[in-house]
Amino acid sequence: MMHILEKKKLNQILTGWAEKYEVFAPQKVENYSQFLPFTDTSELTLDEPHNTRLPPKALFFPQSEVMLKYNSRRHKLEEVEFAPKPRILYGIRPCDAKAVTLLDTVFDTEENRDPYWKARREATTLIGFGCTNPPQTCFCTTVGSGPFNHDGLDAIQTELDDAFFIEVLTEKAKKLFEGLPTATEEQEKQIHTKQDEAYKSMTPAFETKGLKQKLDLIFESSYWESISESCLGCGICTFLCPTCFCFDIVDEVQRKERIRNWDTCMFRIYSQEASGHNPRPSRKERTRQRLMHKYSYWLDHIGEIGCTGCGRCVRYCPVGLDIRAMLRTASTLESEVVHA
Amino acid sequence: MELAATSGSVNLMETKPKIALFQCQWCLYSESDQYWVDNNLPPSIHLTKVSCTGRIDPLHILNAIQGGADGIMISGCLPEKCHFKEGNLSALRQHEEFINLLDYIGYERERIRFVWLDLQDRGRIQQELADFEVTLTKLGSENALVTRIETPVGRLND
Amino acid sequence: MTDLIIKLKTEIKRLFNENIVDVVIAFKKEDSPLRPQPAFFRPNDSLEDLEYNSLCQNNLANYLTKYPHETRIGIVVRGCESRSVNALVVEKQHPRENLYLIGVPCQGIVDFRKLVYQTGEEISGYSENQDEITVIFKGKEYKFDRQSVLHDSCFRCVHPNPVNADVLIGEPLPEGDSSIVRKSVESFEALTKEERYAWFRHEAERCIHCYACREACPMCYCTECFVDHDPPRWTESSVSPAGTQAWHIIRAFHQAGRCTSCGACERACPMDIKMTYMTDKLNEDMLKLYNFESGMDDKTQPPFSSFNLDDKNRFVA
Repeated sequence: MMHILEKKKLNQILTGWAEKYEVFAPQKVENYSQFLPFTDTSELTLDEPHNTRLPPKALFFPQSEVMLKYNSRRHKLEEVEFAPKPRILYGIRPCDAKAVTLLDTVFDTEENRDPYWKARREATTLIGFGCTNPPQTCFCTTVGSGPFNHDGLDAIQTELDDAFFIEVLTEKAKKLFEGLPTATEEQEKQIHTKQDEAYKSMTPAFETKGLKQKLDLIFESSYWESISESCLGCGICTFLCPTCFCFDIVDEVQRKERIRNWDTCMFRIYSQEASGHNPRPSRKERTRQRLMHKYSYWLDHIGEIGCTGCGRCVRYCPVGLDIRAMLRTASTLESEVVHA
Repeated sequence: MELAATSGSVNLMETKPKIALFQCQWCLYSESDQYWVDNNLPPSIHLTKVSCTGRIDPLHILNAIQGGADGIMISGCLPEKCHFKEGNLSALRQHEEFINLLDYIGYERERIRFVWLDLQDRGRIQQELADFEVTLTKLGSENALVTRIETPVGRLND
Repeated sequence: MTDLIIKLKTEIKRLFNENIVDVVIAFKKEDSPLRPQPAFFRPNDSLEDLEYNSLCQNNLANYLTKYPHETRIGIVVRGCESRSVNALVVEKQHPRENLYLIGVPCQGIVDFRKLVYQTGEEISGYSENQDEITVIFKGKEYKFDRQSVLHDSCFRCVHPNPVNADVLIGEPLPEGDSSIVRKSVESFEALTKEERYAWFRHEAERCIHCYACREACPMCYCTECFVDHDPPRWTESSVSPAGTQAWHIIRAFHQAGRCTSCGACERACPMDIKMTYMTDKLNEDMLKLYNFESGMDDKTQPPFSSFNLDDKNRFVA
């Protein structure tokens, strides 16, 4: 059963939701779009073929978060009040939603339950927006996701003419769409056709079968030197990646706060040890680490590729490195025998 | 995070302006001056003693500004009288240009003052500080760049 | 293949045949015609993928500091890039005798994002001449006036011709108008201080501390950057206003007397942050106060490495 939400009624619906929830929707900032709180002056950017520049992981795992404060005069730690309001994340793409479920396997497990992550996750309803015109930098279908994939979503909407057609997937989203007209069988068929077309329009970017084994085999290859030569070692691919989760906790003594910040394995100091030793001393080890982590080590940990094909690293790398091309080349290499 | 609009030079300050004083340890020859700076400095003035004004980095100045200093005063020895020979000259051009850059992005240049003290000058430091306080009171309090405030909880990339 | 590329290949082959260099830094083709990548050719490598056009947006001088001083490096450079190379030589980051500069006069870098905003991502072909850029989007041809898709920092370019190059490939271009950047600095200065701070804050608040600006800049080669220094921590690493503003101010300031206005920082930034307005001011001041322009030769020391008792200053004596 699909509900119909006419585009001209969208603002009204979102405003209605905003009475009880904090609603986040993709909006225009400079030349790109970002998830921001919905207000009556919001300029929504739902017509963009690709996803927002910053990944919505920031809404569950903020780039900088205060964990505790201390009062040095009274020698006391002060707890930080933390009670997220119920939220709706409207317009999240399936790649980003799947990434949130992948991050659940990091932040919400038996051994490690991150209370900040968990509280925000439970308070949030994810309304997905499928991609009818996937751009050529996206490759979600190659890595087990897709332009209308359901993982992590409470509802998913498809655009057709001047309306959005919504499939409710979980109980959480049900009450949000009550009262909306339902689609006819003919309309549902049209939607399914559109979704199929979107899937078919995406060609596989590289072969994932046997990729992990091949990467493990060529770990010592000089290929990694050649691709790391142009890599700048900035943090763009990691910070814009919806599945990257590394963080650094610092005590900002001048603010008297302990803050958790995103960190990136691409920086030299990321793996620098207090002794001065660095297990990833050069760009080669660090660039290799990123690919190995996403396409080999994630599989060791939870059996899934740690990438959902969102395409941001491809679009925004300042030197134009394309992870798809790197993996294609890597899969053709023979392992080099390392002489003792 | 919205900071309140800057008050500009119209409002006079109700409390004494906060001054960050970077003082070269050699420039106060008179013992009474040195004693006053070490022990009797008014609470609105925050002292940082350095081995030479050449040691002061724009980072330190910016750090003081971000922490809420209404004005920065740097006091050091006259050129050619520097204990480290050329120490106070080496950073001269950098400090000068840094003030230009801060002024360019909206932090008035009058808020940063350099004072070279001669060996014979006695009581000069108190006089310069009092003078500076008057200037800063006229300029009013400043909100630009004063940003070292608490991070709100659970925020996004804003 | 353009005439320029043919000539570049000939020169690079000669450099390898005559054993003049160990590596040549240039650009190469990749899957997308919009994103040529920095390439590092070695003797016996095929030059088939060599690419050189206005979409080559990285400052290749950035890579010089990654090689030991003994490496003999050939590098294809345009105006601002060659000045970055000279500035690095002045700072003793690579001996000049181990560098071979293949100079190419620059018509300005095309901002590929401007092309994408106008058409879309599926650009399968690209060609250019002095005045016009042509792209093939979804099978159809689209033409753009070069000026309309030029990268913002190229409008203020004064020196499009390589400085101190060992060989010049292409005809020299006329110098740019130096009053353009001066006027833009003056018009910013004419704003009220509240407006200037509001602009600075507006640009800085988008920063995500990815440090791509630092990594793309040829003059940022410190093994330990001031933001990573701990203890003491002078700047925060969080995305708070204090941390972000300190990053922008101090990084710009560290470029005074060294920046060549190449704009690689702005092109690398994923959040479209403008930051060259600060280095423009610093460069103008260096010219005005010390008659210094960085990278115009490989010998003159930058202003901050020396002092003069006659320097203008407002010190109270």
